[in-house]
Amino acid sequence: MGVLEIRQLYKSFGHHEVLKGLDMDVPEHSIFGFVGQNGAGKTTTMKIILGLLKPDSGSVTVCGEKVTYGESKANRHIGFLPDVPEFYGYMNPMEYLKLCGEIAGLSKTQIKSRSEELLELVGLKDQKKRISGFSRGMKQRLGIAQALLNEPKLLICDEPTSALDPIGRKEILDILLAAKGKTTIVFSTHILSDVERICDRIAVLHDGKLALCGTLSEIKERHRLHGFILEFENEEAASCFENTEELKQPSISLSRDGSTVKVFMKDGGMDGHFLLGVLSQKRIVPLKFAVMEPTLESLFMEVVR
Amino acid sequence: MDSAMLKEYLPFLIPLVIAQYALAITALVHVLRHPRYRFGNKVMWVLIVLFIQFIGPALYFAFGRGEE
Amino acid sequence: MKGYFAFLKKEFFEYTKTYKLFIMLMIFIIFGITNPLIAKLMPEIVGSLVTDGVVITLPEPTAYDAWAQFFKNATQMGLFVMVILFSGVLSSELSKGTLINLLTKGLSRTAVILSKYTCMVSVWTISISLCFGLTYGYTAYLFPQGETSNLLFSVFCLWLFGLFLLAALLFSATLTRSSYGGLLITGAVVVVCMVMNIIPDVHRYNPISLATDNMGLIMNSTEVSSLYSTIMISCLLSLIFVFLSVVIFRKKQL
Repeated sequence: MGVLEIRQLYKSFGHHEVLKGLDMDVPEHSIFGFVGQNGAGKTTTMKIILGLLKPDSGSVTVCGEKVTYGESKANRHIGFLPDVPEFYGYMNPMEYLKLCGEIAGLSKTQIKSRSEELLELVGLKDQKKRISGFSRGMKQRLGIAQALLNEPKLLICDEPTSALDPIGRKEILDILLAAKGKTTIVFSTHILSDVERICDRIAVLHDGKLALCGTLSEIKERHRLHGFILEFENEEAASCFENTEELKQPSISLSRDGSTVKVFMKDGGMDGHFLLGVLSQKRIVPLKFAVMEPTLESLFMEVVR
Repeated sequence: MDSAMLKEYLPFLIPLVIAQYALAITALVHVLRHPRYRFGNKVMWVLIVLFIQFIGPALYFAFGRGEE
Repeated sequence: MKGYFAFLKKEFFEYTKTYKLFIMLMIFIIFGITNPLIAKLMPEIVGSLVTDGVVITLPEPTAYDAWAQFFKNATQMGLFVMVILFSGVLSSELSKGTLINLLTKGLSRTAVILSKYTCMVSVWTISISLCFGLTYGYTAYLFPQGETSNLLFSVFCLWLFGLFLLAALLFSATLTRSSYGGLLITGAVVVVCMVMNIIPDVHRYNPISLATDNMGLIMNSTEVSSLYSTIMISCLLSLIFVFLSVVIFRKKQL
């Protein structure tokens, strides 16, 4: 059973339809990358999951418990990290986690041990400073600590890395990876390299629906381009290959740029063997022969276009 | 006021003066140490805090003090 | 319930750390001391202003004058300062988004509203008691033979009016997103009460009587029983305001 199940979710602000029948399933113990352009509705979706926004229609279930707007009981399964987490500036990290722990109903000893453990994890252990003096990255890390405090089954992070510098980003991603074994993580982002770094599943939100969904390798397999890159010694050899009679077929498209030729094949009927056959027949040895891997970026551009 | 009267009112004046100064000085220190305000500038808030009795410091802490 | 107490603790911590509690207490302490002092010194002050031969003879000040100052300062200045200090009670949290973390931790919205009201009421209660204690002590010292009637009841009425005002403030705060909006609505509530007071029949039921009839009570020119219906109405309105605040806040999109 999925930790998070979203069924036919609709939400519009005024005349602007943001979500148009979103369906999404997040299985347990995955790091789920929730990708989409700015304004695609990622934050809206998350706020609905948390019961902070009221959907027009559709249902959300967290750990088998239905999310209700306003006072959502399902929230006790969830840890949430907002895109820009805000704290009470006059508290220090320990005081803040204590407040969170008391609200979550943890015992005094639990709060103490969990807080210390988590502040250690996010690298704020000996920070006695007030939160008002914290940098963006420190606030983000404290945000993760508070989100993990009640050992949630589902950790939702809204663009946790967008506002950070490269070092801060790496720190956050490492912390999320470290938390992977204990919880399921859904995190939204538009930084694709972050997704490739830590996610095992991704979903692309576009035009109010999921345009892509599945494990990374699955998606790449599904969208394999059947394309090859061949690099030759010189332009002569390249153009000789390009003009081979056998390649002049409707299902094959070629493009040459200097001494490099890209070959795309439309259907799966023909594959690399065919090209290798042509090469050996013409007695041309390329410098390089490579299968084109779809990048997440090219996939994203393809579905979003 | 002659000295006899002053003596009579001393039990009032001492706590009163202490309270007023405590209020004004706390606000003044905060104005000077946190030079970011929701609106207005430092000079304005110093004047308000020092010269509008009671209300000045209250206004500052309610509206003037910015995010730290 | 756990959330309520945890959040209540946070509220007190916040008022301490943001100096708001300190300001409230200081101002009410200053009022407490100045009330009898101004009453005592009034003839001298007026006397020193008059120089060109016009003689104004003021009657010898009494304990009534001290209490007149108390009810004037506490109602006008004190309530004013209190409303200003508490005007950001919800808006500061909503505009910054500090509540989001806690609400997603399972803090109920009802607990947020109730603990905020509890905290404001406690601060008001402590402040008015301090002010009252100081005025009482110093008045006894300056005007040893002063006799007043219904003093405690009169202060109770003022205290109750504070509760009503805070409930109105909380209600206004749930309606708007900015602290100025909250102030404006609260101000409007007070103005409506004041305008209604012009109609003599309404006076008996108008919450604002709790803050205007105090001197009459002390001097025994106003019957204690004449305020019973006002007290009932004020309690009822306060409860309604708090109840509506909870209902509205529970449905608010954050």
